[in-house]
Amino acid sequence: MREIKFLFAIWKTNLLSIMEFRVPFLTQVIGMILNDFIYFAIWIIFFKTFNEVRGWGIDDMYITYGVLASAFGLVALLFGNAFNLSEIINQGRLDYYLSLPRPVLLHAVASRTIASGMGDLSYGFLSFAISGQFSWDGLLRFTLATILAAVVFASFLILINSLAFWMGMISNLTGLALNAMITFGIYPITLFDNYAKLILFTLIPAALIGAVPAEFIRDFSWQSLAELLAGAIIFLLIAVSVFRLGLKRYESGSAIQVEV
Amino acid sequence: MKGFRKYWAIFQITMINSLAYPGELIGRSLMIVPFMWIFYELWSVTFRSVGTNEINGMTLYSTLWYLMMAETIELSRPALARTISDNVKDGSIAYILNKPYSFLLYHFSNSMGETVFRALVNALFGSVVVWWFVGPPPGPKGWLFAFIAVIGAWILNFCITCLIGLSAFLVEDVAPFLWIYQKFIFILGGFLIPLNFYPEWLQKIALALPFSAMIYGPSKLFVQPSLELLGTVLFMQAVWIIATGTVLILSFRRGMTYLTVNGG
Repeated sequence: MREIKFLFAIWKTNLLSIMEFRVPFLTQVIGMILNDFIYFAIWIIFFKTFNEVRGWGIDDMYITYGVLASAFGLVALLFGNAFNLSEIINQGRLDYYLSLPRPVLLHAVASRTIASGMGDLSYGFLSFAISGQFSWDGLLRFTLATILAAVVFASFLILINSLAFWMGMISNLTGLALNAMITFGIYPITLFDNYAKLILFTLIPAALIGAVPAEFIRDFSWQSLAELLAGAIIFLLIAVSVFRLGLKRYESGSAIQVEV
Repeated sequence: MKGFRKYWAIFQITMINSLAYPGELIGRSLMIVPFMWIFYELWSVTFRSVGTNEINGMTLYSTLWYLMMAETIELSRPALARTISDNVKDGSIAYILNKPYSFLLYHFSNSMGETVFRALVNALFGSVVVWWFVGPPPGPKGWLFAFIAVIGAWILNFCITCLIGLSAFLVEDVAPFLWIYQKFIFILGGFLIPLNFYPEWLQKIALALPFSAMIYGPSKLFVQPSLELLGTVLFMQAVWIIATGTVLILSFRRGMTYLTVNGG
C-alpha cells in the first residue's frame, strides 16, 4: 500500500512536470496520435488490396495495433525509464535510487514520464473505438488487456536492460529487442509457424502484447485471459529477479549525478 | 577545388570514425535481419493466398529484394534532424558557425560519412537473409542504377531532415515532425509495401511526391533496372532537391537572424 501511494506521488509529480510546458506536451501528444494513424494507414492499404492473411483481416489489425499502442503508451507514461534502464545502470545513476528508502527498481523506472506516451495510449483506445467491434464490455476487456500487455512489455524492457549489469553497453541490443518486439507485435500472428510462435511467446514475447490481448478483447475466453495473466506474472517475476541478481554486481564511480 | 577538399576531409574523417566501433556498426545493422524475415513471412503468405506468382509486375523474388534495398536506405539514414535541432537549442551551432566552412555543407559531408558504411553493412546483412530465402540478388545493372539513385535519395533526405532540424528555431520540439516525416516515407515512399500494390490513385499521388523518389525509385531500379525509370527517378529527385534545397538555404539564412548565443 505504501509503495502504491509512493508510485502515485511520483506519477503526479512527473505529470505536473511535463505539463509545465503545455505547448511541447500537446505537440508531442497530437504528433504521436497522427504518427500512429499514418502508420496504421499501411495496413488499411494492405488489406484493401489483399483482404486477409490466413484469416487475419483489417478488423483484427485495428484491435491488435490499438492494444499494442496503448500498452506501449502506458509504459512510456508510467515507467518511462524502463526504456533506458541500461544507460542508468552504466552511468552509475542507480546510486541515487540506492541511497533512498524505496524499492530501487520501482523508483528508477517510474521516475520518468515520456509525454508522447499519452498520444499512444489515446490512439489505442481510438483505434478500438473505430474498429467496428466496440462494446462496453469490450472496452473493459481492452482496458484489462492493455494493463496486462503493459506489464509484459515493461517486464521485457527491464529484463533486456538489466543485462547491462553483465554486458555493459548494450544500447544496440536493447534497440534491436525493442524494435523486434514492436514489429512482431503488430504483424498478424497467423503468418508464423509453430517454431516462430514459440519464440513470440517466450524469447520475444510479442504475441503477449499484440495477438493474445487482441484475441481476448474480440472474444472473451478463460484461456486467453489465463495466457495473458500467466505471461504478465511470469515475465514480471523473471524481470525483477534478474534485476536483483544484477544489482549485486552493480558498481559505480565517483561521478556526481543529478536526478531531476 | 580547395573548398571541395575540406568537405571531402570531413566526409573521410566521419567515415573512418564510423569504423572505430565495429561492434556498434554491426549491432545496429542486425536490425535488418528480423525485418527481412518478417517481410518474407508476410509476402510469401500473401502471394500464396492470392494464388499467383506475380502481382502488378512484382514477384515474391523482386518484392523481397526491393524491400531489402528500401530497408537499407531507411535504416542507414543518420539522425541529422535531431543533431541540428540540438545544435540550435543548446547553442552549440555557434561552434560550427565560426569555423571556415559552411554549416550546411559541413553537416552534409558529416552525414554522408556516417551513412556509407552503415548502408554497406545493412545491405550485406539484408542480402544474406534475402538470398537465403529467395535466391541471388539482381545483376550488376540493378546495383549500379540503384547506387546512382540512392545518392540522390540521400541528398534529398538531407535537405528535408535539415529543414526539420532547423525548425527548432521556431518550435521547441521537432520530434513530432520527424515521426510524421518517417511515416510519410513508410507510406508514400513505398517503404513497407511497394507502390505497385497500391490503388492507382494513390500511386499517382505518391509518385509525384519526394518520398517515392527516395525509397521506391532506387529500390525499383534495383529489381527492375531500366534507363527510362532511371531518367524518371533522377528527374524527380532533381526537381525535389532544387525545391527543398532552396527552401533550406532561405530558412537557414532566416534562422541566422533569430540566433542569439549567450556566452558559453
